[in-house]
Amino acid sequence: MDVKITWNWLADYVDLDGLTPQQVAMDLTHAGIPVEWMEPFAYPVERVVVGEVLSADPHPNANRLRVCRVTVGTEAPVTIVCGAANVAAGQRVPVALEGARLPDLTIGRSTLRGVESQGMICSAQELGLPVRSLAKEQTDGIFVLPGDAPLGLSIADYLGLGDMVMELELTPNRSDCLSLRGVAYEVGAIYGRTVRMPSADTGWVQPASGMARSDGNDAVAAKETAPGEPGEHGEHGEHDAGAGPASELPLTATVDTPLCPLYSVQAVTGVALGPAPIWMQMRLLAVGMRPISNLVDITNYVMLEWGQPLHAFDYDVIAHHHIVVRQAEVAEGLETLDGQVRQLSPSMIVIADPEKALGLGGVMGGRNSEVTHTTRSVVIESALFDPIVTRRTGKALQLRSEAGLRFEKGTDPDAVGPALARAVALIQLYAGGRVASPAVVKRPPLATTSDGALSGMSSAASATGSLDADLHQRPAVICLDAPRVSAFLGCDYAIDELVDVCRRLQFPVQREGQRLSVEIPARRPDITREEDMIEEFARLLSYDRIPATEMHGPLTPGRLTPEQALRRRLRTHLVSVGLTEVWTYSLVPGFVVTRTGLPADHALAQMGELQNPLSEDRRFLRSSMLFALLDVAQYNSHRRIRDIRVFEIGTVFSPRALPMTEQPTERQVLALFLAGQAMAESPHGKPRALDFFDAKGIVEHLLALLGLRARAVFLPADEPYLHAGQSARILIDGREVGVVGQLRQSVAREYGIGAGFYAELCLASLAASAEVGLTVAELPKFPGVARDLAFVAPRSLAAADLVANVRAAGGTELQAVTIFDVYTGDHVGSDAKSLALRLTFQAQDRTLTDDEVSDYVNRILASAARLGAAIRH
Amino acid sequence: MIEQLQALRTRALARLEALETSGDPGALEAWRVEFLGKKGELSSALRLMGSLSAEERPVVGQVVNEVREELESAFAQHKAQAEAQALRAREAGDAVDVTLPGRTPFLGAEHPLQKVIRRIEDIFLGLGFAIEEGPEVELDYYNFELMNFPKDHPARDMQDTFFVTEDLVLRTHTSPVQARTMEKMQPQVPVRIIAPGKTYRRDDDDATHSHAFAQVEGLVIDRGVRMSDLKGTLLTFARQLYGADQEVRLRPSFFPFTEPSAELDVRCIYCGGAGCATCKQTGWIEILGCGMVHPRVLELGGYDPHEVSGFAFGMGVERVAMLLYGVTDIRQFYLNDLRLLEQFSGLAH
Ligand SMILES: [Zn+2]
Repeated sequence: MDVKITWNWLADYVDLDGLTPQQVAMDLTHAGIPVEWMEPFAYPVERVVVGEVLSADPHPNANRLRVCRVTVGTEAPVTIVCGAANVAAGQRVPVALEGARLPDLTIGRSTLRGVESQGMICSAQELGLPVRSLAKEQTDGIFVLPGDAPLGLSIADYLGLGDMVMELELTPNRSDCLSLRGVAYEVGAIYGRTVRMPSADTGWVQPASGMARSDGNDAVAAKETAPGEPGEHGEHGEHDAGAGPASELPLTATVDTPLCPLYSVQAVTGVALGPAPIWMQMRLLAVGMRPISNLVDITNYVMLEWGQPLHAFDYDVIAHHHIVVRQAEVAEGLETLDGQVRQLSPSMIVIADPEKALGLGGVMGGRNSEVTHTTRSVVIESALFDPIVTRRTGKALQLRSEAGLRFEKGTDPDAVGPALARAVALIQLYAGGRVASPAVVKRPPLATTSDGALSGMSSAASATGSLDADLHQRPAVICLDAPRVSAFLGCDYAIDELVDVCRRLQFPVQREGQRLSVEIPARRPDITREEDMIEEFARLLSYDRIPATEMHGPLTPGRLTPEQALRRRLRTHLVSVGLTEVWTYSLVPGFVVTRTGLPADHALAQMGELQNPLSEDRRFLRSSMLFALLDVAQYNSHRRIRDIRVFEIGTVFSPRALPMTEQPTERQVLALFLAGQAMAESPHGKPRALDFFDAKGIVEHLLALLGLRARAVFLPADEPYLHAGQSARILIDGREVGVVGQLRQSVAREYGIGAGFYAELCLASLAASAEVGLTVAELPKFPGVARDLAFVAPRSLAAADLVANVRAAGGTELQAVTIFDVYTGDHVGSDAKSLALRLTFQAQDRTLTDDEVSDYVNRILASAARLGAAIRH
Repeated sequence: MIEQLQALRTRALARLEALETSGDPGALEAWRVEFLGKKGELSSALRLMGSLSAEERPVVGQVVNEVREELESAFAQHKAQAEAQALRAREAGDAVDVTLPGRTPFLGAEHPLQKVIRRIEDIFLGLGFAIEEGPEVELDYYNFELMNFPKDHPARDMQDTFFVTEDLVLRTHTSPVQARTMEKMQPQVPVRIIAPGKTYRRDDDDATHSHAFAQVEGLVIDRGVRMSDLKGTLLTFARQLYGADQEVRLRPSFFPFTEPSAELDVRCIYCGGAGCATCKQTGWIEILGCGMVHPRVLELGGYDPHEVSGFAFGMGVERVAMLLYGVTDIRQFYLNDLRLLEQFSGLAH
């Protein structure tokens, strides 16, 4: 939430004497209103002054040039050759004299087609004004000034080019600073200076400093709400026009919806649409708004000043001079100011007359009531609209406006009246109008309760306050104990300091002993609880005063949960066996399913989908780490990195149903991908290409780390993305915990990689099974006896099955069985293989005899024979 | 006789000395036979003993023994030297070029973001914090409502959200873990946790934004927790992470779930506070958001804000990593270019 202000504009409302923009920017930032940047409105041109074109005659030697006599007041008139088509005698214009410095050039004496030119009449572009925000007639040719521009006055002063523009980066709770008034109060609070806002009845409408004025009114400080103003009346009741003294035009209103808790309008007649005063245009330009016309500019100017959006209607299109504020009817249509026909819904607020809709309350006016050059009388509206409804309407119709932005953050009820009065006063000054009705102030029926609290509306407070603001009216008074403030912040404050902060904030405060009662004005809806006020004290007395202390309480070190410890252990282990950790996105495109060859009914093809993805590439919640690791492999392989050994520990998502209606199951998995050589390249022999058993070996290694290797069983897997003959499911105690295997060639080719190996393990399953306790086995006292047996077995016999068979038959003295050779080939049949096992027998209480061992071996041979495995001769 | 023996000794040792350079094992053996062998000179000398008088015999016998011991010891020493020399000579023939690289096993690397998370975790583990985790697909209730972001609240605009359903979002911060922890722990105190994890916001990826990023959340609830404790804890953290002479400052800010709220700045780690491009000449760098737990959040979490208070903080892991490692584009962390990641293989960092 950004807002721009200017230094001179701010100085109208709060005394900035003795301060510099740099100092104020730093102090605002330190108080929680960060000034993002600060720069002059435009290049501070030198030796460019207001001049008047005395004559503009054709150039003797050039059709398109004019020779102008220009006076700048005191000095003798100068001759300037000008190429602009719009130059004419009698105009006041910006004149760059000899030696003038403009953003892009310095002016010297020159001769144009034989006529000496002693300067230049400048265009808006040449002055460095933001031309894209100006009207066409202001940017075509020279920049014509108002007829009352004082001759000889420096243009930089006249247009305020050197005024400092600051952009404030507001936090969402400080929407009060979306106005000059809010920022003025903030600056006032920092430096203890009083804020003075213009008041309707004094007619203070001029900038107080820094900018040349076209009339002589002095700034007058006044309190915000003078007696007789609509804001004041609004506190007590309501009234229609017709009764007051200035009832030239009849005007009435009713509010039929609680979504508009306060509505006020006033008619002004005799207006003439034209440009706003130049100083107002320049201020709007400086803060990034486009000057349009006196009426529009005035409503914008007052909005920026008070934070209260205003709207102007054409009085004559209001049937029966009666305005109705209501909710839209079903399928009601309205052509808005931008020319679009909008379909409204009953949740939206409509400003209407008895016959038709005239605008969308708080969002945008209707085309039919637009103020045009034919408009004679206008109605100015100043109101409160429900923040949430305004926000929803803006979103539904995709209408973002400065007014909508302010309404949806919540506006100040106390600004409704003064802003209306201020606008009406400015219109009288700058649009030639006269007041044609008193202010009409209306509230919805039953909107006020006995204690004066508003009901029905979600309330401005709820937009920046907390959940319960709907139920409890924002307290106008916050009570706090001074010692609690010190205790909560851990910093000692004297009660006088706290009282002083309230005074600086211009919050009325009462003190009883150590207790403070602080009245919070409506302009600060963010302050609803004691802690909010504590923050005001803390920040205005500087956070730097808060010391750094140590927490009380036990300081025993924290501990990792077993699964957290497991993840750390696996990470360290995998890094030391040569795998690099990667970190990938959880959001994947839908095409990964087909890319990895998964059939539509595969579990991994069931992926949860986002309602509002940023792109197709980030639409689905990954069901597996496979997709991301293949992307990593592809990326690196395209960069000619041959050895890719990566892993990631991350989350995969399994929806309980599709489309998702509840949280998916989230599992932490460990995935790894390998491609390239089994060993790093070295000059000591040719490295071997990775194969299935390298991948399986890494898995077994980490299972061993967790004490799970002996309990793990590998069975042939059938995954659509893995090699049918070189992939395995991994089971522990019969429960599947993962998979390991070579990528299917078609998938590898799809990703442009060679042979690759993938494994994925479910960490929760591993953590649940991991060995925690350990009892050390006694070391053998008697020597063991080893026997090597070479079996010839059917090729289809799994080695694990033979080993299991041998173990079962071997008896308790069979300590270990290892496979030390596997052979297929000419020496055994084509459907057979040779498996060489080393058996180690050992007894705890004696040395085994040869005869005993031979007995065991015979039992083993007999048992193995049942699997078709015979001893090889 | 004694003179003869002394002469023999001198001669034998001189001969042995002369052999030293030859390195011929045969010559050494020949020396042994000549002087110490059964038919060698010393034995011959012994045989002459018989001709000596009884008085002379023990005197000469002692000299003979002394000479023998000396010669035998010299022989043994010489032989050992010769053998060692021969071994060295053989090894020289088997010499390798030790400057050639060894057969090094692959060495992997921890991902920089993970490394940063581990460092942060270790600091807070040492301060007595536990590590909590929560789901990435989170209920609106935990992600927003319990964190004091009511529906339609403008503060929700701060966090552009990925929706799965109306009530299910990709968590926009790790703060819902605060809510889940309170739900689990209330009304017990102290609560002292951090919660690292992945988070998501609907931002287009560029050099400083990422739709997916990591945060570490922190939450402390206890009786009498003060804002000064927040500052002290984060000062300790900053000093452990960035160096013992680090300074911190708090600046007012806003988060719906803390009040008062603050940003924590550390002295710019590039310029030490003098002002540079990274710190925009301020001498300070913002590293995290923090504040006292909002009383409404305590209430929603089942705690009585009159009984207990707390503080919370949250930091972006990528930001910490970018500052620590001089990475200027956040996307580098998600590219997984092995040439970058392998730079993190050492124990340092
Ligand atoms: Zn710096």
